[in-house]
Amino acid sequence: MPDLPKKKVGIVACSGEEIAEGTVTRLAALRVLEQLRPNETVTICLPLFLAGGEGDRAFARFYPTIALDGCDRRCAARGTEMYSGKPAASVVVTDVVKDNHLGTARRLSEAGKQAVDVVAGQVAQKVDELLGVTWDRKQQVADPSQPTQESKAKVATCSCGSGIPVQVVQVGGQEVTLIALPLIFEQFHAAAKLPGEGTAVELIQTVKIYNPIPDGQEAAYTEAVMREYAAFCQEEN
Amino acid sequence: MRKVMIVPCSGIGKSYGTVAREGAYVVTEDLRPDATQLVPLSLLVLGDEQARADVSGAQAITIDGCKLACATKMVTESGGTVAHDLAVLDVYRRHRDLKPSGIAELNEGGAELARALADEVVVLVDRLTGEVKNA
Amino acid sequence: MLELTVDKFTFRVPKGLYYNDAGVWVSLEGNVARLGLADFAQQRSGDMAFAEVKPVGTALKPGVEFASVETIKVNLSLPSPVTGKMVEVNSALGDAPEWINRDPYGNGWLAVVELTDWSSDQARLLDADAYYALIKSQAEEEAK
Repeated sequence: MPDLPKKKVGIVACSGEEIAEGTVTRLAALRVLEQLRPNETVTICLPLFLAGGEGDRAFARFYPTIALDGCDRRCAARGTEMYSGKPAASVVVTDVVKDNHLGTARRLSEAGKQAVDVVAGQVAQKVDELLGVTWDRKQQVADPSQPTQESKAKVATCSCGSGIPVQVVQVGGQEVTLIALPLIFEQFHAAAKLPGEGTAVELIQTVKIYNPIPDGQEAAYTEAVMREYAAFCQEEN
Repeated sequence: MRKVMIVPCSGIGKSYGTVAREGAYVVTEDLRPDATQLVPLSLLVLGDEQARADVSGAQAITIDGCKLACATKMVTESGGTVAHDLAVLDVYRRHRDLKPSGIAELNEGGAELARALADEVVVLVDRLTGEVKNA
Repeated sequence: MLELTVDKFTFRVPKGLYYNDAGVWVSLEGNVARLGLADFAQQRSGDMAFAEVKPVGTALKPGVEFASVETIKVNLSLPSPVTGKMVEVNSALGDAPEWINRDPYGNGWLAVVELTDWSSDQARLLDADAYYALIKSQAEEEAK
């Protein structure tokens, strides 16, 4: 069973340059990342994310994220949903802080600096909540009543406690545990990608993001993954 | 005369992103407020009508923190015309004594690097607006 | 290829190369070795602002600096993993040190060394599995 990194929360801030609230989101995100919850959070750089940063997108697909937006145009929340999945939590500064004398985007006033404290505190609290519950990716809802372990026989969560589902498959007569395979299947199925040759290439490329495949065994792994995916689709339909 | 659009990456993962952001402010607020306009990258990428209208038909100067060049790539993909692209990393190479640190707040080296960056951008702005005038 | 994912970062460790503790990789090419900086080391260091490699003709032995790189985070002196003489340096890195970040095992190579004591050098180096184990423990420690 491969070791997995501990469960963390991704923080995506809009950093909008035009309004003071955009600077508030940037500074609040950094406060959480650097001071309040440095061991529990990971930076998701929004421009890199939008430009195709695969590491950031992959992380945001399988770990909960908190989007911080300066205004109701909600660039961070919309961008995250577009390329990875709906954020587990979303904070809009104008909902939290009613004072509109926050200064300028370049220089926050004292009220703006206090807004950073308030927003950062809220985000830290949301981080704690998310790490204390199960993130149900299918429903995209944090549900504290859900058990942390999947009850299906062949699907389990990794023993490291991160909550990432794993699945054991047979590859060339040997049992191999593949990280995140149930979630990958859910995504593909939700995108109406049926089992077939075109899907096989994309599927194995996605599996490879989370699982090393030994040299010379890609064909065997592809066959095994496609077999499991066909069974998954049959169960779902 | 159309303003030159300044599009910083504002990346949050590195000091370079903050330098790009601050450099953009120096250009658009201090040095060339009448000739330039800052366009928020995320709004542009996510299809904000005003941002798209601002960029459409205008010349843009992108300021990227690092060589991943997110701003340049996305302005191009959003239909903008990138007249010039600068990377803060390259500006740092030309000003090795101005080593930036800090993301939430830049150190003195970072603040001076932002000014050096802004000076380079202004040369490009003047060239663009000069070209338009002479056209 | 071995891959280690920690948080949003993936670190690649090609099999068939050798590594020293500092993250310098060695690719054996007949009686010469091509050297470079491994993916984990380059990611941890940050964006390369400058890369300086000792000139052709420099005599090397394990531990002697053969190159240095500078980012805004670190100034890194790179110790040679092998014994021999520098016969080629990557001149592209003068103008574009970002190749070390962009393609650490390909266009980001640093130097080629004519080997004079490979059997002793090899015994001191880590293979891919051993280097993977080393960076795994370091990465997990940093991610805590």
